[in-house]
Amino acid sequence: MSRDVMIDLQQVSKFYRGQKAPVVDNMSMTIQQGEIIVFVGPSGCGKTTTMKMINRLIEPSSGRILIDGTDVTALDGNDLRRQIGYVIQQVGLFPHMSVATNVGLVPKMLGWDRKRIEARADELLHLVGLEPAIYRNRLPRQLSGGQQQRVGVARALAADPPVMLMDEPFGATDPMTRDRLQNEFLRLQEQLRKTIVFVTHDFDEAIKMGTRIAVLGERSKIRQFDTPENLLANPADSTVAQFIGRGARLKQLDLRRVDAIAWEDVPLIQPDKAANGAKRQLEQTEGSSALTVDADNRPLRWVNAHDLAAGAGALDGAGQTVTTVEPQATLRDALDAMLASRDGAAVVVDEDGRYAGTVTLDGLMQVIHHASEQEEPGAGVPDQRAGATTAAELAPEQR
Amino acid sequence: MSSATQIRAEETILTPASRWRGMLGRHATMPALLAVVLLGTYLWVSATDLDDIEQRALEANKLLRAVGEHVTLTALTTVLVVAIAGGGGILLTRPSIRWLAPFATGLANIGQATPAIGLLVLLSIFLGIGFSTTLICLVAYSVLPVLQNTIVGINQVDRHLIEAGRGIGMSPLAVLLRIELPLAVPVILAGVRTALVLAVGVATLATFINAGGLGSLIVTGIKLQRETILVTGAVLTATLALTLDWLGGVISDLLRPRGLD
Repeated sequence: MSRDVMIDLQQVSKFYRGQKAPVVDNMSMTIQQGEIIVFVGPSGCGKTTTMKMINRLIEPSSGRILIDGTDVTALDGNDLRRQIGYVIQQVGLFPHMSVATNVGLVPKMLGWDRKRIEARADELLHLVGLEPAIYRNRLPRQLSGGQQQRVGVARALAADPPVMLMDEPFGATDPMTRDRLQNEFLRLQEQLRKTIVFVTHDFDEAIKMGTRIAVLGERSKIRQFDTPENLLANPADSTVAQFIGRGARLKQLDLRRVDAIAWEDVPLIQPDKAANGAKRQLEQTEGSSALTVDADNRPLRWVNAHDLAAGAGALDGAGQTVTTVEPQATLRDALDAMLASRDGAAVVVDEDGRYAGTVTLDGLMQVIHHASEQEEPGAGVPDQRAGATTAAELAPEQR
Repeated sequence: MSSATQIRAEETILTPASRWRGMLGRHATMPALLAVVLLGTYLWVSATDLDDIEQRALEANKLLRAVGEHVTLTALTTVLVVAIAGGGGILLTRPSIRWLAPFATGLANIGQATPAIGLLVLLSIFLGIGFSTTLICLVAYSVLPVLQNTIVGINQVDRHLIEAGRGIGMSPLAVLLRIELPLAVPVILAGVRTALVLAVGVATLATFINAGGLGSLIVTGIKLQRETILVTGAVLTATLALTLDWLGGVISDLLRPRGLD
């Protein structure tokens, strides 16, 4: 076994008395240190049962589960669970205990002294973005849903467990809060590098959170276990494709960022300077546009030859509005910005709002087409085919 | 709606001193009322011309002894009931023997469904008359509310909280002591209060099997047609019941976990 295997499920099954079919049937999976593994599947497919067998809230009927090389059944269940972070959808903060007490429960069970527990609780509240001085003595019901789940995550992290189990942790929050919690958690994970098993039935969440995604079917059968990119580009069978749902190409856009694709350059015009050079350039290439920028290179408007001719001296107010994206934005955001602009191009700006380049619909299609050619050498699902053909038609011009 | 939640939210961060002030406001009325009633009865009795029988029955020593017997019976009943029904209720909510709960409450129901006087007489036939028989009868009679409320109180605790507790490595005992019981306290104590008031009432029947208590005053008053004795006995019994109910309310307020809606 390689050294950085963190969780190893070996032919794990779970039977319940009086039921013929097992809930989890002979499941094997290897999880590397630092990965977020998402179990995704329809409700009742045994994904939660599988997760709960890892910390033995449910005892496996057969098979072995190794965490960091140790068989979990060799440990006392309570001791084991104290070493594994656990977050559930309903949060499960104890309503009669303060936020700090809730967070300090596991360290207390581990016998830390009071000073250390208090310091740790403050540290964790700070980590999840809750000011300790304000929130430490509050009761759970005095917090919003999102804040409660942050405390839930803090509680799970209290004893710095290497492994965390999360059962639809953001499922009960509204979409906006969920999005923020997901982003915050991903940022946290970059620092913490925990090994995480994450259960959800929301495929979009799976794509966003997962290092690898296990699509589970009945009885926790693994239908496909792969990175989000491969899963989207190349679903193993029709059930997985169905589960991914419509718009797999669009979802792929969520996985790539603007800084991962090539930017193009457009002519820049600073309004106070003579626009003649740019004007000549624009007249040469029919239908193309230039970008007016201010003295600090911040984009102002899109202008074409016609605008330049009409406006002559004063360029203020001429041309079309500019839509901008930052390099960290997803390609979906970029697409949104492109569609909002007349020319099908979005301007990439740095964090100070200065011009850095542009991305266009054509460039975007090229990237998508290129990716699917690599990952999907043969057939695709029919409705995705149409998109691929369009990209292929446009691609030659760009090459 | 939102202002109500706001007020409640403020309540929980009140300092201990103001918590006491709030308690005083909520719980001061009943003792005052009871004091007025007792004083009124006292004034009425002392203004009346008492004959020999009445004087003997209403001697301070006798009254104190009757009250003492009554309180002893009630207090012992409470202790026994809390131990039996509380412990039983906890056991009957453990996953392994949860299925027994309906049988146990059924059994306790029989104790309460039987008329108290019938139960008392039946028991005295088998166990003889006296204090311990009365005690057994009282316990049998008051077990149900506590048992039922303990079971309901523990079962109404959000099972996700229990799962969360187990999930972070709490032992079943720790989950019981730190989560289930604290959160069930209000419901359990409501049952104890009901049981206490029932016990005070039923304990008046103790006199029929020679176990004393305030019932003897009432029975004497009826038999000898002396209104003063009857009324004094009745007022004292009612006062005792209401005092204990009030005490239960105060204790329940003190033990109520913070952070509950």
